[in-house]
Amino acid sequence: MPKQSLTQKASDNPYFHKDFHIAFNYGIEYIHKKFGEEAVREYLIQFARSLYAPLMKAIKETGLVAIKDHYERIYKIEGADFDMDYSEDELIIRLSSSPAVMYIKSNGYVVSQLFSETVDAVNKTICESSQYEFEMLEYKEENGAYILRFYKK
Amino acid sequence: MISCTEFIPAYSELFKFIERKEGKAAVVDYWNYLSDNFLTNLKDLVVENGIRGCWIYWEKTLKEEAADFTMELDEEAEEFSITMHYCPSKGRLLEYEHIDPYPDYCEHCDVLYKRVLEPLGYIYKLDRSQTDRARCRLTVKTKK
Repeated sequence: MPKQSLTQKASDNPYFHKDFHIAFNYGIEYIHKKFGEEAVREYLIQFARSLYAPLMKAIKETGLVAIKDHYERIYKIEGADFDMDYSEDELIIRLSSSPAVMYIKSNGYVVSQLFSETVDAVNKTICESSQYEFEMLEYKEENGAYILRFYKK
Repeated sequence: MISCTEFIPAYSELFKFIERKEGKAAVVDYWNYLSDNFLTNLKDLVVENGIRGCWIYWEKTLKEEAADFTMELDEEAEEFSITMHYCPSKGRLLEYEHIDPYPDYCEHCDVLYKRVLEPLGYIYKLDRSQTDRARCRLTVKTKK
């Protein structure tokens, strides 16, 4: 068999590695088993404060449109089916199924029973110390579908 | 929902979180757990295809991660290597202005893959001397 070589540049391929959903699920599951339920929330709060610091700043400056733009971008990347009702004082997001949950399940892995915290704890953190509140109106374990409400305090 | 494109900072923050809870040894325990549970696809490919399994595994993952790399396979010499010109994971972490990467972030690649490949009869080495520039070199050779 001859030697083989392959060279690729970052620009040759889109950045979209769905197996990361499975790895993330393992992270949630590991913390749950090792440190308990509250630690999962603690971790997600730490993660959200770190990654979403610019988004949190944007919410304070521009309002709910920052959250709307953020999720429109994320859902587009993930190919999610969703709709939104947006006004200055309230944003309702309906996701018909979560691409993350469906990918984890379709590959034969068990979704962590605390996976909904990746929505609830993260969005509560995104809204903390802003002029808005967050509530998760509905979450379906079987496919990760949800209805989210962000509203002015 | 968190996108798979946001996983890398989540991963780095997870390492920091575990270390703060129980120290570095606990982070390594987590890497071992992830290797045993998540990298079964790499193990299956190498069991089935020999060292070519490494090529099959990383050809898919590195393309999906939009890595900047050169991958080489010499089946006669039983050697496989990846020269990572710019790692998509570490590179992203370095590019975030508001995030400090976990200091030993790149060590996870050493622990995870070594744990799969060495029991299968391979010598796995990762040169991490240039990870501050998101560069590394991974080599896998058959133990002779």
